[in-house]
Amino acid sequence: MTEIDRRTADVVVVGAGLAGLTAAIRLAEAGLRVVTVAKGLGSIRLSPATIDILGYGPDLVHEPARELQGFLSAHPGHPYSLVSPVQLAASVQWLKEHTDGTAYVGDPDANMLLPTALGVPRPSAVVPETMAAGDIRKSRSVAVAGFSVLKDFQPDLAAENLQAAAAALGFGMTVRPLHLNTRVNGEADVSSLALARRLEDTAFRNAVAAELTAGLRDEDAVGLPAVLGLDQAASVWSDLQAMVGRPVFEIPTVPPSAPGMRLAKVLQDRLRHAGGRLVLGSEVVGAEVQGGQLAGVRVKTAARQLAWMCRWVVLATGGFASGGLAVDLSGAVSETALGLPVSGPPPDEPLFLPRYLDEHPMGSVGLKVDPLLRPLAYDGEPVHPNLYAAGAVIGGARPAREKSGDGISLSTGYLAAGIILQEAG
Amino acid sequence: MRGFSTVLVERGDLATGTTGRFHGLLHSGGRYVVKDPKAAEECYAENVVLRRIAADCIEDTGGLFVTTPADDPGYADRFLQSCAATGIPAEEIPAAEALRREPRLNPRISRAIIVPDATVDAWKTVWTTARSATEHGAQILTYHQVVDMTRDGDTVTGAVVRDRSGAEVRIRAEITINATGAWAGQIAAMAGCEVKVLPGKGIMVATNHRLVNMCVNRCEMPGDGDIIVPIRTVSVIGTTDVQVADPDDWPITRAEIDEMITAGEALVPGFREARTLRVWGGVRPLFQDDAPAETRDVTRAHAVLDHKTRDGVAGLVTITGGKFCTYRLMAQDAVDAACKALGTSRPCHTADEPLPDSQDQSFYHISSRLAGRERTLHADQLICECELVRRGRLVAEIERREVPPSLDDIRRALRLGMGPCQGGFCMYRATGILHEERHLSAAAADDAMLDFLQERWKGVQPLLHGDQLRQAWLDDWIFQGVLDVEHLPHVEPAPADAPAGHDVPSRVQLPAQERKSARERRAAGQRGSGQQRPARSQKRTQP
Repeated sequence: MTEIDRRTADVVVVGAGLAGLTAAIRLAEAGLRVVTVAKGLGSIRLSPATIDILGYGPDLVHEPARELQGFLSAHPGHPYSLVSPVQLAASVQWLKEHTDGTAYVGDPDANMLLPTALGVPRPSAVVPETMAAGDIRKSRSVAVAGFSVLKDFQPDLAAENLQAAAAALGFGMTVRPLHLNTRVNGEADVSSLALARRLEDTAFRNAVAAELTAGLRDEDAVGLPAVLGLDQAASVWSDLQAMVGRPVFEIPTVPPSAPGMRLAKVLQDRLRHAGGRLVLGSEVVGAEVQGGQLAGVRVKTAARQLAWMCRWVVLATGGFASGGLAVDLSGAVSETALGLPVSGPPPDEPLFLPRYLDEHPMGSVGLKVDPLLRPLAYDGEPVHPNLYAAGAVIGGARPAREKSGDGISLSTGYLAAGIILQEAG
Repeated sequence: MRGFSTVLVERGDLATGTTGRFHGLLHSGGRYVVKDPKAAEECYAENVVLRRIAADCIEDTGGLFVTTPADDPGYADRFLQSCAATGIPAEEIPAAEALRREPRLNPRISRAIIVPDATVDAWKTVWTTARSATEHGAQILTYHQVVDMTRDGDTVTGAVVRDRSGAEVRIRAEITINATGAWAGQIAAMAGCEVKVLPGKGIMVATNHRLVNMCVNRCEMPGDGDIIVPIRTVSVIGTTDVQVADPDDWPITRAEIDEMITAGEALVPGFREARTLRVWGGVRPLFQDDAPAETRDVTRAHAVLDHKTRDGVAGLVTITGGKFCTYRLMAQDAVDAACKALGTSRPCHTADEPLPDSQDQSFYHISSRLAGRERTLHADQLICECELVRRGRLVAEIERREVPPSLDDIRRALRLGMGPCQGGFCMYRATGILHEERHLSAAAADDAMLDFLQERWKGVQPLLHGDQLRQAWLDDWIFQGVLDVEHLPHVEPAPADAPAGHDVPSRVQLPAQERKSARERRAAGQRGSGQQRPARSQKRTQP
């Protein structure tokens, strides 16, 4: 076998989601040579881009920072037990400072209740400013407008559910659906991303604003699907708001997600700006081990393999949805990049339960890590002293159910970088 | 068609029992030709008839019987002899030619025989047959469950059926045909007759694309997992045959699924690595008088029972046994028996009159739906990308129904949500459209979505692994992470005692006013409640 190409960095971060990018930016800004390798584009693009800390535990959480302690005593082994309240707050502050152009508002002290495309008020702590006016605690009367060309936002259903759900939570509000028929190149079927780009065009935006204004009555605020621009989202949003003369808020849709695209781009730009490398389309296929020590990772990219040699590795490959974890036909769970030990449900337990909304045994499976985020072998010792895990690859959480995924990824990514920086001195 | 005033009752939607739960193979008869030439002959004769009357439901894939290294090489000779004896066209081709046509086949096959197998869309066949029946004056009541058979002395006089609201309807009939398949014993018992039907469970697994384009069979005595059927956008491997006690309650185990997928390796190496979408099962009705242990040895040929001569109970005919392929012949025989019981002789025309949409006798083709989509590319929205279901067709299906359909009813009619994402993307859209078009309450629409989520989960959950598990996690992320379905204001947990492998009962309860048909609403000039929907006047007016 021919000698493979070897390259060198201080840190290799595996994965370009929220955890990986957070760790990579922080490390690069501190002056370390960082390369981020990722198989795909990163999962941020699929996400509403709200930073949910903790929404349900299992009851509705109003004050995540305060309620987290009680939640953790009921959920031992949860990844939040690795993060102190100070670190969590610091990671949120860090994100706000690194997302100029996509300003974030809110903090872990209080959840907002923002409508989903189905009209459910969803608890979220730190959110793009373009969404904040949707907080049902703030409005008595809103309109929810959909575009007839956009199938991924159904305003009638969202409005009716939202009114009922808000009432059930003790917030009396009226919600009225609106239908916008502004034409988009004569096409009947326009994706949220295409619509977002279109809204960056002034003439189209003006036409939308005119139709909105004609339909609005005396509502306090108006919600639209989250399609208010990509690169120029801030100005699209503020411009539209000025034209309709009241707060406008975005409501996340099913993927693709324009807010997710914006956040991913802002963070990737920050990484490059800080001197970090980002190599997409690179799948980590194994560890480079020298003298029993982890010395780098082997990467498959463009039909060949190369090795990135480094002092530290951050594994932020995500959970089952992102491909960081996998299950085979026999039900065995594996960690896909480095083949780390990971345990599924006990053999006598089913992997999944018959009812969709049950809490499935497989649902919280992931890596076990020590307080320094180092993945553990079955004997309870770290697999490698210089390997750290961050984000959804760590087990113990039910992010989709808890509305905790972004907070876990942000804070553990932030923490992993902090641990490495401490070691680097 | 024979001039009777007829009403058909079905406890669920059409084709929800066994008919919609098979692999989609329109048998040439090859599968049974060695073991049961009579059944094979029946299959082939009906294969020819269905190609004539139901062409739009059939894809003329052709079938291949191949001898893999695990099969008896001598079976192919017996197979060819039996085909010749029964008149089933069969042509042996060189193994190399079979591999050229089907490159993913096991390269170590030694023999290959072509037969006129095809694939058939069960739901489409049932729907168009139902349409034809309605056009001939029949009345069809779906979601009407038979709760009792009425008798006057020794004569069955009809049935009592219960609809979804719990209301009971008494239907009087001169003759009742019990065509309930694996449930035939239960219905006959209501009339005081004993009919022994063994429910034989068969499971099938679908992969996310077509691994083969012809129906591929092992050239061996029929066994488990020896057929791969390319139906519509997927390939289906089947099947098993396990006797079960209750046709409504039986599990699907991970071991059975593993066995099925492993069996696929013999025909298509690498089958284990294919992305498997879903598993489901159906229960065959195997009629018999004395129960043997092994269900596969019971004849597949159907049985018509005139209960007057058999049990001394007049006015009731039971048709059971049989298989999808011979459904038309079974109906013919049953109605012949009914005519005889009524002392009349009226000829059957079902073998000659094509079903609606099949008049021009052109077969369905894998690209038919894509061609339709291209014609409406800019004019209509694609609601289900996997199965190319456009909004116009979805709306038409929603409006056509007298009672607002469930999303699962729509799935059976349009294949909505049957592709790789299993409804992950289309379900929200379809729910919104159902809500809007039928003026449902949001609560009813939400229930429809939750029921469909549960229904999809049922078939995905037992085999989740690999890429499909990844998809399920993304779908979870969409429904729970992004939409927060589990916190809809009125969501309650599903019933705790729902048995695995059985439909969780629908929780969609519609207020009486919503049960009005679209036609009634239009006639009354109603466009939903004006107060609730003040924005309706602003809805799109453009095409």
